[in-house]
Amino acid sequence: MFKKHIIFQILYIIVGPLCPASLKRFVFYKVPPQLQGSYLSMEDYHKPDQQTVQALRNIANRLRINSIKATTAVGNGHPTSCCSVAEIMSVLFFHTMKYRPDDHKNPNNDRFILSKGHAAPVLYSVWVEIGFLKESELMSMCQVDSTLEGHPTPKQQFVDVATGSLGQGLGVACGMAYTAKYFDKSSYHVYCLLGDGEMSEGAVWEAMAFASYYQLDNLLAILDINRLGQSDPAPLQHHVEKYQRRCEAFGWHAIIVDGHSVEELCKAMSQPRHQPTAIIAKTIKGKGIPVAEDKMGWHGKVLSKDMAESVMRDIQSRILNSNKRMYPASPIEDAPPVSLRNVRMPSAPNYKPGEKIATCKAYGMAVAKLGRYNERVVAMDVDTKNFTCSEIFKNEHPNRFIECYSAEQNMVSVATGCAARERNIVFASGLATFFTRAYDQLRMAAISDSNINLCGSHCGLSDGEDGPAHMGLEDMAIFRAIPTATIFYPSDAVSTEKAVELAANTKGVCYVRTTRPETAIIYNSNEDFHVGQAKVVCQSKEDQVTVIGAGMTLHEALAAAEQLKKERIHIRVIDPFTIKPLDAKTIIDHVRSTRGRVITVEDHYYEGGLGEAVCSAIVNEPGFTFQRLAVAHVPRSGKMSDLFKIYGIDRDSIAQLVRKMLSSSANAK
Amino acid sequence: MSYHKPDEKTLQALKDIANKLRIHSIKETCASNSGHPTSCCSAAELMSVLFFHTMRYKANDPRNPSNDRFILSKGHAAPILYAAWAEAGFIKESELLNLRKIDSDLEGHPTPKLAFVDVATGSLGQGLGAACGMAYTGKYFDKASYRVYCMMGDGECSEGSVWEAMAFASYYKLDNLVAILDVNRLGQSEAAPLQHNMDTYKERCKAFGFNTYVVDGHDVEELCKALWHAEQTKGKPTAIVAKTFKGKGLKGIEDQDNWHGKPMPKDRAEELINDLLSQIQSPNKPLHPQLPNEDVALADLTPIRLLTAPEYKIGDKMSTRKAYGVALKKMGDASPRVVAMDGDTKNSTFSDIFKKAHPDRFIECFIAEQNMVSVAIGCATRDRTVSFASAFAAFFARAYDHIRMAAISQSNVNLVGSHCGVSIGEDGPSQMALEDLAMFRAIPTCTVFYPSDGVSTERAVELAANTKGICFIRTSRPDTAVIYDAGEKFEVGKAKVVRQSDKDQVTIIGAGVTLHEALAAHDQLAKEGVNIRVIDPFTIKPLDASTIVASARATGGKVITVEDHYKDGGLGEAVLSALGEEPGIVVHRLAVSCVPRSGKPQELLDMFGISAKSIVAAVRRTFAN
Repeated sequence: MFKKHIIFQILYIIVGPLCPASLKRFVFYKVPPQLQGSYLSMEDYHKPDQQTVQALRNIANRLRINSIKATTAVGNGHPTSCCSVAEIMSVLFFHTMKYRPDDHKNPNNDRFILSKGHAAPVLYSVWVEIGFLKESELMSMCQVDSTLEGHPTPKQQFVDVATGSLGQGLGVACGMAYTAKYFDKSSYHVYCLLGDGEMSEGAVWEAMAFASYYQLDNLLAILDINRLGQSDPAPLQHHVEKYQRRCEAFGWHAIIVDGHSVEELCKAMSQPRHQPTAIIAKTIKGKGIPVAEDKMGWHGKVLSKDMAESVMRDIQSRILNSNKRMYPASPIEDAPPVSLRNVRMPSAPNYKPGEKIATCKAYGMAVAKLGRYNERVVAMDVDTKNFTCSEIFKNEHPNRFIECYSAEQNMVSVATGCAARERNIVFASGLATFFTRAYDQLRMAAISDSNINLCGSHCGLSDGEDGPAHMGLEDMAIFRAIPTATIFYPSDAVSTEKAVELAANTKGVCYVRTTRPETAIIYNSNEDFHVGQAKVVCQSKEDQVTVIGAGMTLHEALAAAEQLKKERIHIRVIDPFTIKPLDAKTIIDHVRSTRGRVITVEDHYYEGGLGEAVCSAIVNEPGFTFQRLAVAHVPRSGKMSDLFKIYGIDRDSIAQLVRKMLSSSANAK
Repeated sequence: MSYHKPDEKTLQALKDIANKLRIHSIKETCASNSGHPTSCCSAAELMSVLFFHTMRYKANDPRNPSNDRFILSKGHAAPILYAAWAEAGFIKESELLNLRKIDSDLEGHPTPKLAFVDVATGSLGQGLGAACGMAYTGKYFDKASYRVYCMMGDGECSEGSVWEAMAFASYYKLDNLVAILDVNRLGQSEAAPLQHNMDTYKERCKAFGFNTYVVDGHDVEELCKALWHAEQTKGKPTAIVAKTFKGKGLKGIEDQDNWHGKPMPKDRAEELINDLLSQIQSPNKPLHPQLPNEDVALADLTPIRLLTAPEYKIGDKMSTRKAYGVALKKMGDASPRVVAMDGDTKNSTFSDIFKKAHPDRFIECFIAEQNMVSVAIGCATRDRTVSFASAFAAFFARAYDHIRMAAISQSNVNLVGSHCGVSIGEDGPSQMALEDLAMFRAIPTCTVFYPSDGVSTERAVELAANTKGICFIRTSRPDTAVIYDAGEKFEVGKAKVVRQSDKDQVTIIGAGVTLHEALAAHDQLAKEGVNIRVIDPFTIKPLDASTIVASARATGGKVITVEDHYKDGGLGEAVLSALGEEPGIVVHRLAVSCVPRSGKPQELLDMFGISAKSIVAAVRRTFAN
């Protein structure tokens, strides 16, 4: 089989220059299908001269030396995982990629994502080699005052997204490549280096399917098949042909190479690409460290000082004199300028008080409206666009909508990739509860300093008959525990539109929680909304209890207020608007004026939601009496109104608790 | 053995059942005025052949351990599952019309309120992982002949967890597992990405190591044959990739867009049903499922107790993660039902101690946390095993949807997260779990253990094995001193007062490394003549409110919580919730308030304000106020 392969290459070399382009293509496609995967076309390929090859080898060995030196110096890190990718990194950064080494955030630069983030030292060594980092900085990585962390984070300019949770890089790379191809329409490429261990993560295959579906021919994945995982060999060991078959089945062009051969790497990376391409690099973990090469028990282990010195001497001896200095090629400057600052709605919301509309629908309309006035507003969904109403955006701006299908992890990664280097304002939507599927990606988005906007619809019991599998009852808990998150929980269409506008201009991870049932408009179109500013929706001088609700439960609280009014009991109703940050001052002031009595009511589990947020805000206020209504158990299917009653978050439950609170405080007197 | 084609009568009966299942599905969803009849119709022949030809089970005893297992991964097709069990005689036909009603157990998506449902589905792409756990259990633990069938939709094949499960099934040669892909082309809001591109599905399944057949999903004979071949195949799991039509058999609706999740309009239902009825040739020909080989013993449900008390001495230094490995191994000694799994972190979580002692009961799940949790859930169904799955605590975030569904599944799975908090040090924020308590607290059936030394860790493992619902044990990386006597008794929801005197002025609540920081603060302050009370909550959920309230009162209402976790949803908020209605209590919370960074553990504890130094400062501030 291999012979045939060579014959075709020779045939091509001889015949190629004589043939018209159409015939070339014919020759190329005549390669038998079983060979196509590994076939290296010679089209446009200029073999690097021997000096270049040697220079790249030298760089690879210097990367090894620095990775070993640094990890031994700080007593921490993964030198063997760095050594397997030394040639790959050398060829990528000094031969293949086009970028300005002095201008990391230049939008025209090729992008690089180190998905196997534990190989951070080799990435840092590259930037030492380029001259951007000092060797002394590298030697103090991972220390509390260094910006070179154990895994890459955007504290370093040359890092777009944090990695270290495996299997997430490729999805982010997909978002960048999609942006390059369809939004920027520019020539920069995206390179993602993955480890073989992380190929077990499903998120990788979500990204694989996405990339081929959208024909991201500007995306190159390099798979470092070094055989060994953390505690065992990776399941496919060195069966590179199995990796190839999987990649091909997922619609990729897949090339097997010797990952320590700079010639093979140069050649493979120079291939013209007509579909996403995977370079499956067979490598040796710990390559260059004789005692650790291809050996178990060396993952995440550093070399002793003595061992390191002898190994480094040995590697140093392989660095041959070469006067050739390698410089990355400059990128083509064709990425359009983009401004994401101060994106505003051109007009006030167009809703009338009393009109009934679901906040999920208002979300779709708001994002579509915002998209009308800024062409960098993009949206995506996971085949739920008819539920989340993001299809309103799609219908109006089809070229700026990305269907991500049922792959929530990948959608969040794609969103993060699209938002990197401030290329787009991204709104990604799905059912609230299915963001749990992407919680690791969300956690990493915070570490990445990412500015993405997410919308979760169908929150809580209001999803009714579909049952608990579809009810988001923990989403506030998980988003509250994201340090960079802002949580909007709008209660009508006007505030939803404002939430979308604010989210577009708020840094960090923004989450908008929307609801399925229609609810009445309660705000005037010109009402002003701010992050961290609550609204007092209903108040009088005789108010005896403050009730805080949001979404459906705000409307239940308003209904309870009406009901209680007939009994001459007045309650104050507060809409927090944002759950994080929570407007502690407004809440405390109003609770004080209702003699310290406060009730929260939420369509969410007790833990981590609105109730605990309020609890945190008012904890040390003397004389407050605080009661909470929330969902206490795994719920069930049924009509929303029945469920609200059963789980005690409906108007009657609120009214009853208000009465109880008042009678017990009367008794206390 | 060669394949014998079923006789014509049987084939016709299977076709008739398929149409009956269609009719039931239409009627059910018309009655509830919601649901997914078109997603049921595409799977009608598949369900008919599975339930009345291929699978072996006792229709009157769905949880019998010898039965073949069936998981409806495309949970939105619940009505046809209910219809199949009505045809099998387990539920009354009239009950079907109560679908999705508040007082019926026939919920919108299947849950184990029904005896024939082992795991809840409805969050797509999770069924196959659970099926893997069941098949692994069948093949390697029970060593029994029952087989596992998982029905998936094509939309959910976009979920990465499906491919994690695929890789797992072939790696472990689960030849007792059959994945059936109902490729009906249409998703919820548009066509699925691969549409009817059967070759691509086939290539993907084959590349992931499955014995794969592409079949016409509406041809009962082809299905009988493919499923027969699946049973003969050794060393490989089988995928039946069935080309079907969404809404098959429904005139004018079949293969049309915009019918996902829509019941038939009232005015058309009758005509559609009559049309289906007219195709049924022998409405009363009963088919009975084959009975299983009864080669599985009933599970021994006696509580599992440690055979010996913990062997640690006060003052010994060891990490709680290591104590977990030791404890798990001991639990394995105590009962053959205890099994363990990990996501290629066993040398960090120390589950490798269990592996060394009980290699046949350890499953390496590689770096696929979603699938590991699904496998653990699958292994624990029908009480076949007591499963413990471990990984870095941070990476359970990857599987949070699966954990959420585990609660709906009433699963008794035990999850153990190591390397929590900033105290892991140099590896940096991506490896630090700082939201895991928030996650697990918001799981209604969850018990959260947060042991602080070797002795309490060992007891936490023992308690977890015997506690219903999901149990989460949070362990730490650094070595800490043993603070409890080996004979100390621990209970779920019972805190320990670790330091106290008559003159305590503040109550400090810490856990794991922060409990040890609190103890250091205690000693430091004691030298200055300031006494503080130190509480170890042991379980964060349920939290021992009465001990905490009593201590708070005894220390003038002054409480400080300190946790290696973000401020939201963790120990601090759990304490606030517990103290909610107590008047006159002032709580100060020390927690990590922003994304942390790399550094030495002790430096980070100081930097993020949760070290002994910070506690001492907080105590002093309390008096300053």
